[in-house]
Amino acid sequence: MMAAVFATMLGALAASRFGPVWLAILSLIACLGLSVGSFLFEIYSPEYGFRMPWIQT
Amino acid sequence: MSTATNLGARLPAFLNDLALLAMLLVIAAILTTAMTLQYAYGELPCPLCLLQRAAMFGICFGIILHFRHGYSVRNTGLSLLFALFLLIVSVRQTLLDIYPRPGHSYIGSAVLGLHMPVWSILIALAILLAFAIKLAVLGGGEQLRDARPAPLVGGLAAALTLYVIALCAINFVSVILQCGLGECHTFGYKLL
Repeated sequence: MMAAVFATMLGALAASRFGPVWLAILSLIACLGLSVGSFLFEIYSPEYGFRMPWIQT
Repeated sequence: MSTATNLGARLPAFLNDLALLAMLLVIAAILTTAMTLQYAYGELPCPLCLLQRAAMFGICFGIILHFRHGYSVRNTGLSLLFALFLLIVSVRQTLLDIYPRPGHSYIGSAVLGLHMPVWSILIALAILLAFAIKLAVLGGGEQLRDARPAPLVGGLAAALTLYVIALCAINFVSVILQCGLGECHTFGYKLL
């Protein structure tokens, strides 16, 4: 997942400098979606997730 | 049109370019520091640390688009979106690590007494504040559109853009080596 985050970000940055804007923004949106998904996975996964038992929400 | 009026008309666009160039420079310096700590001192980034790096690259994206295609509120919005994401991730990680317990402590060493996620909160707040001040002072009106950067500013921005893209490429290879195609851990490089 993290490799995909950085692959899409690299694609977005490269396209922002050398390619068409639509491709850059498409890559960036994909990267944001993957990043948010990865973040939610990290904090909610019962196996890998991090818990904060001292904060009751 | 007098020269003074012409200069007055160009000043907001010049200040806007200068502010964005400074932001790009600061973020590139922060990412360079993080990567130096990783490669020189063996401090591997955790998954949330990597997401914070990705967020900083995302902030750079809007700035790079500005220097290539000119001012647009959309570029500012994209940068703000990633600044907000950086704030959310770093606050979450700080809340996670603020209470020391076995197996979960701050990753890496402190820099000037603060650990990386705490620095990330300050960085995100500084970037949000900088954008807010820039918008409040310079606005986003017609005076910023269709204004090409000064040659020196444009040249520096182009060099910094290539540097940021190179940093992102190094990070991409590093993530592949550290995490493979699966979960990331800070024990070591999975593929080495």
